[in-house]
Amino acid sequence: MKISYKWLSQYIDIDLSPEELQTRMTFAGLEVEGVEKLGEDLNQYIVAEIKKCKTHPGSDHLSICQVNNGSDTKQVICGAPNCAAGQKVAFAPVGVSISDFKIKKVKLRGEESFGMICSEKELGISDNHDGILVLPDDAPIGEKLGTYLQQDDIAFEVEITPNRPDLLGIFGVARDVAAVLNVPLIIPEISIKETGESIAKHLALQNDASELCTRYTARMIKGVTIKESPAWLKQRLISVGLRPINNIVDITNFVMTEFGHPLHAFDHKLIKDKTIIVRRAKKGEKFPALDEQTYTLEKDDLVIADAVKPIALAGIIGGENSHITKETKDIVIEAANFLYSSIRKTAGRLKISTDSSYRFERDIADETAELVSQRACQLILELAGGKLLEGKLDSYPNPVENRIVGLRPSRVKKLLTITVSDKQIINYLEPLGLKLSRRETDLLKFEIPPYRKDLVREIDLIEEIIRLHGYNSVESFLKPQKIMDKTTFYTSRKIKDILVNNGFSEVINWNFGDPSDLNKLNIPTDDERRNNAELKNPLGSSFSIMHSMLIPQLLKNALFNIHHGQKNLKLFEQTKVFTRHNEKLATEKIHLSALITGNLHPVYWKEDQYPADFYDIKGIVEEILNALDISNPVFKVSSEKFYQPGLAVDVFLKERMVGSFGKIDSKIASKYDIEQPLFILDIKLQDIFELQKSVKPVFHDIPKFPPVLRDLSFVISKKYSYNEILNSIYSINKKLITKIELFDEYIGKNIKDGYRSLTFSLVFSSDTKTLTDDNINNILQKVIEKLKNDFNIEMR
Amino acid sequence: MKEEITRVLEAARSEIKKADSMHDLMQLKSRYIGKKSILNGLMQKLGTLSKEERPAFGKILNEAKVQISELLLQRDQEIKNLKYKKTLKKEALDLTMPSRKREIGTLHPITKVWQEIEDIFISMGFEVAEGPDIEDEFHNFDALNTPQDHPARDLSDTFYIEDDVLLRTQTSTVQVRVMENHKPPIKIISQGSCYRNENDASHSPMFHQVEALVVDEGVTFADLRDIMNIFVKKMFGEKIESRFRPHFFPFTEPSAEMDIICVKCLGRGCNLCKGSGWLELGGAGMVDPNVFSMLGIDSEKYTGYAFGLGIDRIAMLKYKIPDMRLLFENDIRFLKQFK
Repeated sequence: MKISYKWLSQYIDIDLSPEELQTRMTFAGLEVEGVEKLGEDLNQYIVAEIKKCKTHPGSDHLSICQVNNGSDTKQVICGAPNCAAGQKVAFAPVGVSISDFKIKKVKLRGEESFGMICSEKELGISDNHDGILVLPDDAPIGEKLGTYLQQDDIAFEVEITPNRPDLLGIFGVARDVAAVLNVPLIIPEISIKETGESIAKHLALQNDASELCTRYTARMIKGVTIKESPAWLKQRLISVGLRPINNIVDITNFVMTEFGHPLHAFDHKLIKDKTIIVRRAKKGEKFPALDEQTYTLEKDDLVIADAVKPIALAGIIGGENSHITKETKDIVIEAANFLYSSIRKTAGRLKISTDSSYRFERDIADETAELVSQRACQLILELAGGKLLEGKLDSYPNPVENRIVGLRPSRVKKLLTITVSDKQIINYLEPLGLKLSRRETDLLKFEIPPYRKDLVREIDLIEEIIRLHGYNSVESFLKPQKIMDKTTFYTSRKIKDILVNNGFSEVINWNFGDPSDLNKLNIPTDDERRNNAELKNPLGSSFSIMHSMLIPQLLKNALFNIHHGQKNLKLFEQTKVFTRHNEKLATEKIHLSALITGNLHPVYWKEDQYPADFYDIKGIVEEILNALDISNPVFKVSSEKFYQPGLAVDVFLKERMVGSFGKIDSKIASKYDIEQPLFILDIKLQDIFELQKSVKPVFHDIPKFPPVLRDLSFVISKKYSYNEILNSIYSINKKLITKIELFDEYIGKNIKDGYRSLTFSLVFSSDTKTLTDDNINNILQKVIEKLKNDFNIEMR
Repeated sequence: MKEEITRVLEAARSEIKKADSMHDLMQLKSRYIGKKSILNGLMQKLGTLSKEERPAFGKILNEAKVQISELLLQRDQEIKNLKYKKTLKKEALDLTMPSRKREIGTLHPITKVWQEIEDIFISMGFEVAEGPDIEDEFHNFDALNTPQDHPARDLSDTFYIEDDVLLRTQTSTVQVRVMENHKPPIKIISQGSCYRNENDASHSPMFHQVEALVVDEGVTFADLRDIMNIFVKKMFGEKIESRFRPHFFPFTEPSAEMDIICVKCLGRGCNLCKGSGWLELGGAGMVDPNVFSMLGIDSEKYTGYAFGLGIDRIAMLKYKIPDMRLLFENDIRFLKQFK
């Protein structure tokens, strides 16, 4: 629902900027979903005066006007019949856009025109296109039109929740805002003067469907003058997105928007037999509505009818046969209420949605019918003249009695944990229209106003208290402890999962170590891992230190299993390692070591078995580094002395050695009585965690254009490494070459000694276009030239 | 002419019947009803016929064309069916042959239990805290209200690195470290290795414990009972009840040992529970005010509970592992059982 800031300010003194108000409303349950600045369009027009106006020599319906816009005088050709010298008008200078149309300097039949004098329709303030808008004489020349017309306003688009029909009018919103801001609510004065004969002489009312029409009131005014509404009224309607029509219709719309209760006006002359009958429609009955459609009704539809025909579809839309026209003199004002479910059903079936049905569907109060009836009559007498007949017709078979709801302040505290005094509770609730009717020990009894049908139980009142107190003013007791290092915790688990998914089984060994293992593994005497925490009272010499590395235990685990006939093994251990030198306690760091030996895969009759090798352990390391979001580790030939020379790599991250992997030197393996090849990875996890916190995956656009694959096969000297070749290829076009896959290495027949044949698959793709053969051939040619140049390759 | 048509039709019929590929059919189609086909040739000749004869022959010709198209279509279906049946025969397999197995590894049963415990407590709002294995006497003993001359401090029970540096004998050390560094509310668990200088069939010199500590205003003995009950049921199943027995720990008051209904016999009595129907699971109690005051926490304002459980024992009970030594032998045939 649209709420105008200016209109709202009519009922409360708002000391807040629209932005602040918006926040306060949202946090009191009136969620502002959008803010629209009104009058901005109008401010591109300028109040100007037509100094001179003469007929265009080349046309009988065009005039040549000299227009003073406050700074200078422009010539404008105008086609309106009503333009004349001395008028104050709305002037659109060159450059202004009216909907899609941009005003340019033009020549009309030989005369230049520098702008446009606008009609109301062109300005978008009404449908009137009979002539230009003529402003009052006192309109200040040069002022922006929006400012002058006071259309500067802000419209809030507010989401009204279905439990709050009382907020379907701006006054209701003001009441809530007043309670939130704790400022007084300014209630409009409503008084009507009845004169002359009684309404009963002119109109009868018969409610034949009181189960669907819970209240029906009618008042009658004789001798009204139908005309345009005054500017203030039109502004109000425009500010909430309603189109002004005539004074009577505008007033009913105004009052509906003000109090949220829709009304309808009938032309008394068109009511046959001067009787209003509220009844169910007859099956198949036709109803010509104001929207120029004829609807076929069912017997569950409720109509307002005269003696012969329906004149309105109750609460939804008026009839074409009874609405206010220019000729209307005597009018009947209907203010009624209908069963919300019936309105919803009919409106839904007929697919009609009006401002009126929107409100009636939300179960508004019977009581407010009388209020809006009086308010509408007051304004009609004021703006359309006429005489209000004495009395009203009122069918209200089951008047609603005001409800009393009790509230225990102790309960408020129990549920909300806030401390509010009884007085504060009363101060919160009374501005909402609730009245304290009785006070007992720990019990406040409130009389609920009829428009708050949602307040039925104690808990409903408690909700109102916290809404006004502020949800976010409730103190929260639980504070995050920040004891747990979640990143490390979950990353450690992730790495274990990767290993398990790759077929590795976890071992857990005692955290004791045997110092002689360090000798067996050729750990240098000055190595960090020699700084051991030694036990004063160990179980024995082979358990005399806290382990500083996990590899010895893995080798022993391997031996144990090999002895038991299990030759194909994938094992890992992820636990703390300990070192200690000049500190009181020790340095304890999470470490990971893993081992593969034997055949890589389980026996499968379709395929040959093959033993695990260097590239298998390398793959696991890369998968782990990848999971840790380390994209560019540096691999160097290993300096560890327990690997076979030339078959191991140290991993560096930010120039720190964070791990190694490779083949265990057979001389070392035999010290552990193992004869089969063993491949090991050894990673300082804690160091990696410290250097790089794991990064969450971030979505990248999925490529829109299909990739193109090209193969490249050549013979190259073995002295060049794969990495050098890779870098050389990428260097040609890192953007379009998105992937390089090696899919074959061949050494042997037809390849000379010291050379190998490599076959690559290059993947090309682009984010912006489908790559053409020309694009790719071009790049490929450059790649080949570069490779020939760098490595003297021979294409195959 | 009529005879010619009949002849063409017969020829087409027999040739189409013999066709056994899509390619053959295409050729026949072109030969018999295509632009340069025999029938089309006859169609050209229609002009030479008399006006009266023309419609009848036109009709026969058209019917022949339709008939041949239908024959082609029919044969087309037959060929496709044959091809499909051939494929079925070709792709038939002995479905009982062994599948391609992807080898998945396993987490150690202790880790599995460890992670399950972490997840149960994390879901109840606990955080996971950590502490060092190599500890000082203050955190392992003094702060936990264990006096200097307490027998637990004996060299024979504890591994020492130096006179006042040792391998922690329990994870309660982490409680102390957390309370030193964090103000209440505190709600943590901590798991890890602990060490005691003993090695026999039922004792390992290294074992695993989980420790919980909750400190806040208004924490009660009932909360401790609740959390233990929930934990036991989540870990061992809805049928497993728990009970507390009075006991002594220096750092809790009142202190209790916790038993659960025997997971093997559900309380009827068996060799695992030695006939009692109950199994001891760990120790618990309300944090001793002395511990609070040693760590500068107002023991009037705050109360708390703590408990410690043996993870290895839980793993053995949960997976029915008969011998503790299996846990640290790392026999792959053992490890692979814990999928």
